Amino acid sequence: MEREFVCIICPNGCRIRVEYEGTNIKNITGDECPKGKDYVKNEIINPLRVFTGSVLVEKGDFSLVSVKTPVPIPKEYLKKIGEMTRRIKVEAPIEIGQVIASNLLDNNIDLIATRKVNIINK
Amino acid sequence: MQEKEVIIIGGGAAGLAAAVACQEKGIEDILIIERGDYLGGILNQCIHDGFGLEKFHTSLSGPEYAQRYIDRVVAKKIPFLLNSMVVNLTPQEEVIVINDKGLQHYRAKVIILAMGCRERTRGAISIPGARPSGIYTAGVAQELINLKNYMVGKKIVILGSGDIGLIMARRLILEGAEVITVAEKLPYSSGLPRNINQCLYDFDIPLLLSHTVVDIQGNGRLSGVTIAQIGKRGGIIPESRRKIICDTLLLSVGLIPENELSLEAGIVLDTMTGGPQVDERGQTNIPGIFACGNVLQVHDIVDNVSLEAEYIVEGVAEYLEGKLTKEREIKVELGNDLRYVVPQTLMRPKDIIFSFRVNQPGRKKILIFEDGKRLIKKKSLQRVNPAEMIRVKLSSRDLEGIKTLKIRLV
Repeated sequence: MEREFVCIICPNGCRIRVEYEGTNIKNITGDECPKGKDYVKNEIINPLRVFTGSVLVEKGDFSLVSVKTPVPIPKEYLKKIGEMTRRIKVEAPIEIGQVIASNLLDNNIDLIATRKVNIINK
Repeated sequence: MQEKEVIIIGGGAAGLAAAVACQEKGIEDILIIERGDYLGGILNQCIHDGFGLEKFHTSLSGPEYAQRYIDRVVAKKIPFLLNSMVVNLTPQEEVIVINDKGLQHYRAKVIILAMGCRERTRGAISIPGARPSGIYTAGVAQELINLKNYMVGKKIVILGSGDIGLIMARRLILEGAEVITVAEKLPYSSGLPRNINQCLYDFDIPLLLSHTVVDIQGNGRLSGVTIAQIGKRGGIIPESRRKIICDTLLLSVGLIPENELSLEAGIVLDTMTGGPQVDERGQTNIPGIFACGNVLQVHDIVDNVSLEAEYIVEGVAEYLEGKLTKEREIKVELGNDLRYVVPQTLMRPKDIIFSFRVNQPGRKKILIFEDGKRLIKKKSLQRVNPAEMIRVKLSSRDLEGIKTLKIRLV
């Protein structure tokens, strides 16, 4: 069968046409970079997304720290990870890249901070 | 009165990039004036990723993107004021700032406008009905959820398919809310196709094109909205009216460059972009006042905001060296299918990046640049979409000796 995907990797949003049967890819056209090819392959075999969200911070100059998964994770886990972020609490100070949670869902899914949060003394 | 070489109004994406670029050009005496609590502006609340692919060749969240510039501002000791609001700007490059120290007067050789934009509200689109709580613009909801730890509602309808609305649809789902639908007045979305995919379709949120909210119900808190389909002639189809029970309505219905200060200073605005009319270096009709970022034209991608800021700083440096004087100006003319172009005027044949938006989606189009009957450049476009800004560079050789410039789409 043939399907058109809008690549989500970058704002170019390439329309990529793929011919495939099951998970066997026959032909890919319309991609402007190799990332596009990888994206559609994954879309057919195992769709992946980067999770982004936020978790509570205590004693920080921001009340939340934004987080992301350092690598894309299977799409079906997004909602579960979102639910888990609502129960995590961390303490300032926090640096960008600091691990906020690890091995979530026993599936090697980590969350890292994407915001610097300074400590405040109230 | 304190004297500065360059004053930058706004410490968001455009202001930070302009400051760093000025510093790299050897301009020492800079001041960034920011009205918020922190530098980085709206990037702070854009915690989703996808920023920086062009500028840094990696996918960053908004706060990470901002931090890269903030680190450079701090490392180079570029002065900035926080919680400081510019309340007046004059054509003589004077600004009045108000903050906790009271009123302060500054004068600069160059002012860079980098105030960004704000959201259109319910008032701007005149939705009839009750006036309960539970109606937010998408950006305000984003700030409340991502920065203030305040959840806006449980059952949500989004009106307008701008990118912030789409991003918020996914964000609300991941925070445990139900997003019932996204209604869009136009027959096509005003958001980027990739956002429709990863924010709506990934979570089975229906996008209702040619639909709008025609009534709001609720006493105290919002209890529902009525949506209806829009017919071919633009009127509402009465039998398509239906009520949706919800507790929150998000509006993502467009952005307006924030130019109150510019108007007060006598800067001429373009009615289509809502931003100042500028020449090829981002200079407004007032010599020494430049503009970049969303105050000039609303961008879809922050990387382009940074690139635009860096690009206009070339002109700022030339101006400070006395090399940029307004001589003859060519007004850029536009064909019917193009909504706007930036810059609106040209002074000299230089390498110039033109930014456009089209009026309607289309396929297999050709963009034509011409001087009278002489063809200057042609560019074929596989697909055009009002949501996607088109940027095309013309070289100084292309533009040498031109008398007029018309750009059209066929």
